[in-house]
Amino acid sequence: MAQITSVVSRFYNEYKNKTPKKLKVIDAYLLYILLTGIVQFGYCLLVGTFPFNSFLSGFISCVSCFVLGVCLRLQANPENKSQFAGISPERGFADFIFAHIVLHLVVMNFIG
Amino acid sequence: MNKYIKIVLAFLSFGALCATTEASIGGYISASDKKKFLSTLVKSFTIELDDISKSYYAAKGYKILNEVVPKAYITEQCAHIKQHYKATANVEVLFNALNTWSLLGCDGKLHTDDTIASINSLLQNEKSTTADIRYATEILTQLKLQIPNPAKVAQLIQAKLKEDDSLASIGQALHAASLLGNAGKFAHDRIEDVIVQADEIDGKLLQWEGGLTVTSLLITGLLRLPGATPFTQVQADKFANYLLTRKTVQTPKGILSLLEAAVALAGSSVSPVSISIIGSSQVPQDKPELRIQVSDVFGQPLKPVPSPVIAQSATRISDDVVVLAKQPLISGKTSTEFVLTLDKLDPGYYRVAINAGSHSATITARILGLLTINSLEIGLTDADGSSAPKLSKLSYPTKLDSALKADSSQHLLVKFSISRPVHQAFLRLSSGKKEIVFLAVPDSNKGYKVEVNVASQLAYTGNFDMELILGDSIITNPIRWTLGVIDVNLGPSDSPAPRSLRGPKPEIKHLFRPAEKRPPEPVSLFFSGLTAAPLLVLLILWAKLGINFGNFTGVAIPFHLGFGSILGLFTLFWLKLDMFKTCALLIPLGMITFLAGHRLLSSIAARQKKTEKADK
Repeated sequence: MAQITSVVSRFYNEYKNKTPKKLKVIDAYLLYILLTGIVQFGYCLLVGTFPFNSFLSGFISCVSCFVLGVCLRLQANPENKSQFAGISPERGFADFIFAHIVLHLVVMNFIG
Repeated sequence: MNKYIKIVLAFLSFGALCATTEASIGGYISASDKKKFLSTLVKSFTIELDDISKSYYAAKGYKILNEVVPKAYITEQCAHIKQHYKATANVEVLFNALNTWSLLGCDGKLHTDDTIASINSLLQNEKSTTADIRYATEILTQLKLQIPNPAKVAQLIQAKLKEDDSLASIGQALHAASLLGNAGKFAHDRIEDVIVQADEIDGKLLQWEGGLTVTSLLITGLLRLPGATPFTQVQADKFANYLLTRKTVQTPKGILSLLEAAVALAGSSVSPVSISIIGSSQVPQDKPELRIQVSDVFGQPLKPVPSPVIAQSATRISDDVVVLAKQPLISGKTSTEFVLTLDKLDPGYYRVAINAGSHSATITARILGLLTINSLEIGLTDADGSSAPKLSKLSYPTKLDSALKADSSQHLLVKFSISRPVHQAFLRLSSGKKEIVFLAVPDSNKGYKVEVNVASQLAYTGNFDMELILGDSIITNPIRWTLGVIDVNLGPSDSPAPRSLRGPKPEIKHLFRPAEKRPPEPVSLFFSGLTAAPLLVLLILWAKLGINFGNFTGVAIPFHLGFGSILGLFTLFWLKLDMFKTCALLIPLGMITFLAGHRLLSSIAARQKKTEKADK
């Protein structure tokens, strides 16, 4: 137990000190998306799926945002620079915004 | 050996019997036919311009039918013919006019010397047709004048027949030849040839091609030849049958053709014998007299009267039992009427073979009888048969004193017995416009039974009149007997509304699926808050991470405005816009945001490169 605690605290400290601030902002955003999705799913389990298209569009919106966020994080991570040589973080952000516009057009159409 | 001889003898005698009996025809020109003919014939008495030909059909027809022409017609026609008579007219017109003149008994002399001169010249003329020659000889004969040089006329006719040997031409030639005395003998060679050309239809009718007019012309012509017996009895019968099928003919000329041929046949030595039923073929059992007429084709007595007239046999059609043999018929009121008394026969259909002299006919007759109801019981029984049925007896034509009270656990039972089985036996229950008919089934000899399951077969609550219906084609008294009333009570369940077979069907109303129940408002609001709560978490985390707007410059404002307006547009799309309007607005907004974003991001990238260079 003590070992697990030590591993977790070590992991936390490493994350806190070594991760760039930009990535922490994105991580916070990802956590927010994750929590929203969980709350929606919980509602679906507890109350019901009645406006099923609304539930689906909300939940799919969360999942997609999360995926897009992860993509942005991968592209913005300086450690992955070798893999995304031709893509600057700015370019990644522009793609992120464009993908969001298209995604939410569909989500809004589906939400009913 | 003896046995064989007997069989051969039996065959021979049978053959002899067959040979001596001739068939007969199944009808005759009756009084009603004659009346119809007269009403058509009289039409040709109407005067039309200078036509003096067609009134001959009426005058001759009246004469054949033994009717007196009304005085008014006679004076009118005589004046008309006198006025328009011309010696130079067509010889057929002359023939018709001169005949009408004498048939109507007009005063004076119509023909002139010119007439006779022109007719005599016709008989010498090589261009005359057989019809011309026939009418010329007819006129001379009628005027009681000598036919000049009959042998030469006969030669002319024969020459003409070589040119035109059609049936009509031969017919005219036969008529002409019959007036030429000895010189006309040549026509006898033609008889066989003409008869061979007659067409037989179904083995029942004989006729010549060309219809009624040609057939009539040939029949009269052949029978007119002195000393000729052109037809056998069978042929004469078939020609008579053909003439009878043409009784519906509509023109005066056609009627005259039919009548002339019928007269010729009736007056010949092979006059067809008509054996037919007078009145109805249905004979009531209490007065079982079948009236039969034996006459010629005109309904006149035959000369000599064929005798004896006997009923060879009578056979019940249902089981082929011979019920009567060799019973002579009694003479009836007129000389053509004979009465067959069919005593002691059960009701039913019978085939009666009648012989009149050497003629025979088979007639189907129907004997009708009375139907009596021996007994009838009616009542209700329990469906499960637990208790003995209570049946009440009824005798025709009384009915039940009180209504039967039936419920769904009961059966209605009607049992009856009648004097003879019938084709139709029904129990009809009716209430207003509703009715339902049940078939009575025979259960034992002459006994009938109807059993109605009230619950399943009747299935309606209400008061029903009960009626017994008995019918058959061989009874004189079909019965409809009202038995009484049955009060059916199937409990409170309403009888279904009567379904109409015609008319509009009930309107079909569309049902939308009802909306599902929504969760209560507090729950919805709570979860809305809960969904929004992570946003708070995000803001707190970002604040803890020390988020700043250090990079926010004036360049960023158009991009953020553009992006914000796109999100606003999406909200509007959610609330009220449709996809087309949204896309139309999205394109310019997207362009602006794209350009602004491009500028912003390139300025950020340029700044970063600068700092990187500075770091180096």
